[in-house]
Amino acid sequence: MNIQNLKPILFFIPLAVIQLVIVPLISISNIAPNLVFILIAYFTLRHGQSYGIILGFILGFLLDIISGGLIGAFMFSFTLSAFVVGYFYGENKIDINISTYFFLIILFVCGSINSFVYAVISNSNSNISLFFMMLEEGILPGLYTALFGLPIVIFHPKEGI
Amino acid sequence: MRNFFRRLVSDYKEYLLLVVLSIISLTILAQNEKPTAKHLKTFALGNFAVVNEITNSIVSIFKRDESSDDLRNENAHLMLELNRLRKYHIENEELRSMIAFKDTSNYPLIPAKIISKLVTKSQGNFIVNRGSNNEIRKGMPVINANGLIGLIMDVTENYSVVQNLYNSNLSIAVTLQRTNVDGILNYDGNNLIIKDIPTTYDVQIGDIIETSDFSSLFPPSIPIGIVSKKESNILGLLHNITVEPFANISAANNLFILKIIPSKQINQLEMNLIK
Repeated sequence: MNIQNLKPILFFIPLAVIQLVIVPLISISNIAPNLVFILIAYFTLRHGQSYGIILGFILGFLLDIISGGLIGAFMFSFTLSAFVVGYFYGENKIDINISTYFFLIILFVCGSINSFVYAVISNSNSNISLFFMMLEEGILPGLYTALFGLPIVIFHPKEGI
Repeated sequence: MRNFFRRLVSDYKEYLLLVVLSIISLTILAQNEKPTAKHLKTFALGNFAVVNEITNSIVSIFKRDESSDDLRNENAHLMLELNRLRKYHIENEELRSMIAFKDTSNYPLIPAKIISKLVTKSQGNFIVNRGSNNEIRKGMPVINANGLIGLIMDVTENYSVVQNLYNSNLSIAVTLQRTNVDGILNYDGNNLIIKDIPTTYDVQIGDIIETSDFSSLFPPSIPIGIVSKKESNILGLLHNITVEPFANISAANNLFILKIIPSKQINQLEMNLIK
């Protein structure tokens, strides 16, 4: 097996621990960033849409089984949002996508989709309006997730720009 | 024909991949309560929770435990209250024994610590460092010093998953302490709500909500919260009551598991209802 394919899994383990142990400490009214999604978005923008969809599916499954949540919820939301991230992929645009603030916009848009889809499929008892759900369970977590993508933009080597 | 399909797959492989993997995800989502899914989750949870626990113990060195100051303060208040209640308890016991009333207040408590949390708006759950080795069973209630926190939903040897009040899949039979009005408490993704209480019933803002005698999952009279808002529906016949929980669930760290063995048959029925 190519080491390149194992890389995201290796990054996933510490990120999942941080997501489950440290992120709850910085959550605001149950709104928290999704670090695993940042990982998926990063690798999708580097390796393409198909790679991202499969990665989203696998990491979603792993996060579902270790977090004690519904198995399939993160699987579905990560798969779908990785598909959307994949639209921004371009062989000649990898550095522009990752090393500029455009990465934060991608994280915000796709992170919002990811959080919203997760909320819709995991909330079995909702009377909340769609607008409120989109704002509280989509846009705000998306914004928070984008904020955590900032170190990647700052520290990622800007080679082709 | 074969070339046509080959070209189709090649041109639309991302879409096909998305459809196939989405169908698999949703199928697995629908199979969550199947034993195979449960075993898989138990296995993964049990192994990964060890890593979480180690990380949590490192993080807790740097984290100031604010609960200890509150607990000291509360301890002093409780000591004063205990003295007062002791007198009533003796009197109460005598009266209860006269009418052969079952005592529900003496369940053993197992202390537990949260080692990881899944922070979402509708799927509130914790993983705690107590499991079947500590005689924890599925369906045991979880409380802290302030009130009800949730229910044990999955158990591994050393860890358990607690479904907390902020989980839209958890429904609890509750009662208003002052007027004994019964209802079902749910989380709607934003608030804890008791739906469809007739407006003719006496419900006041500030009324205390506790677990009901009708619940076989929870022992009666565990405090849950207070009525913070009541809204009547369009016809004005029914109320939706918003409940503010006593326990700060998001900030909870140390919990107690009530070691009760509920009636297996009733418990299974209620757990099925929750599912």
